[in-house]
Formats: sequence, structure tokens, C-alpha cells
Amino acid sequence: MADALAEREREARELRRREADWNYINSLPPKLKAALLFYIETGDLYIAAKIAGLKVEEFNELRIKAKIPHVN
Amino acid sequence: MEAIADTSFLIDWARFSLRDLLFRIFHVVWIPEDVLNEVQSERTLMWIADHLASGDMSLFPLLPEYRERALRLIELSRRGPIRGLDFPEAYCIAVAEDRGYVVLSENGAAYAAQFLYTTAKVWRAYEVLWDLRSRGLVPDDVIYTYQEETRHKFPRRDLEKWKSYKS
Repeated sequence: MADALAEREREARELRRREADWNYINSLPPKLKAALLFYIETGDLYIAAKIAGLKVEEFNELRIKAKIPHVN
Repeated sequence: MEAIADTSFLIDWARFSLRDLLFRIFHVVWIPEDVLNEVQSERTLMWIADHLASGDMSLFPLLPEYRERALRLIELSRRGPIRGLDFPEAYCIAVAEDRGYVVLSENGAAYAAQFLYTTAKVWRAYEVLWDLRSRGLVPDDVIYTYQEETRHKFPRRDLEKWKSYKS
């Protein structure tokens, strides 16, 4: 089961990396860029929002602007 | 049935045009108090406020016994191969384990937890939509509508499973 769950995480991470708007992400201030990069790697909305200094829903809007899918 | 929802579920689900069907499955959806601090858009706040007023939703306080269990769940989750839990979803799981609620979360670590170290059931929007479809409350293509409206993506294997369902 752990292997199957790890595989789900790998697939989700690949999808986030592939669909992200990297030009947009690279144009952002360091804090927001770091938060989006963390989100792409982990899918963890809560910690990513903390890194960005935003509320979770605010960060989610940023994620949508950066075209990063919420995969789960 | 009763559920307890974290922010990751609510902010996506609130964007969905059929969001109120949630209450055809769950007669109360509990919202941990600190979840309200993470919600910001008028759309989500109005939806929550409407349902708090009608009694379909209710606030769940931060209680020390569940806080302690949540911290233990976080520790447990960090020992495994899968991404660890954060406090908000761990708190929902701690409450759900004890009170028999379903956890509503789009957090991958919370989803994984039910297969590894908790007895709590964790539903994503996918399982909610599946249940609504099995009750004949939504059409077969609702999962694509949901993805479009919420900008949420379900994993390929879940979409294949969805397509193979025969009512």
C-alpha cells in the first residue's frame, strides 16, 4: 500500500511540474516563488501558504494563477 | 452521517456549482474553528456563513484532547515513507477517529493516513462525487464539471476507475 501511495505522490508531483507556468513563477518575488516551488514538490497547501505569508485560500488563488493543478 | 472538513476541501468544493449536494450526504459538516482563519474569498465565506446559519455546518472548537492526538498523528506520519500530516488535517483526523465522522480533505497525507495509521475515513471530493453519483443525484460526467469549475485534477487512475463504474 505504501508503494502505491508513494506512486500517487510521484504522479501528482510530475503533473504539477509539467503544467506549471514557469515564466509566471520565475517572475514572482522570492517568498511567493519559494512557496510555489515547495507546493509543486509536496502538494502541501498549508505549509506553502505559511512560506508565502498568505492565508491558505489566498495561496490557492496564487496557485491557480501559476496554473499548478491541485492533484489528489 | 457527519463530517469534519479542512480548508483544502472547502476552498475547492465552494467553487463547485453543485456544492450544496454535500448536505444530502452529511447532515452536519463540522468546521474546525481555525479553518475560518484560512478562508478569505467572499464565495467561500458566504457559503460557510449560510450553512452555519442553517445548521448544516457547525464550528468545532480546538480541544486539548484532540490537539494531543493530532500531534501524535503528526509524529506517526513523519515515520513513514509518505508525506507527513500538518496540524489542520491531523486535528480533523483526531476528531473523526473518536467521533466517527468522515474527514473531508484534499490533502494527500490525510488521504494516505487512512491506509496506514488511522481508523478514520478520509474522503476527497472524488469520494463525495462517487457517493452522489451512486445515489443518482449527479450525472456521470459530473467529475469533469468539478475539475473544470474548481481547477482541481484527479489522478489518472481515479478517472479510469470513475469511467469503469456501471450504475
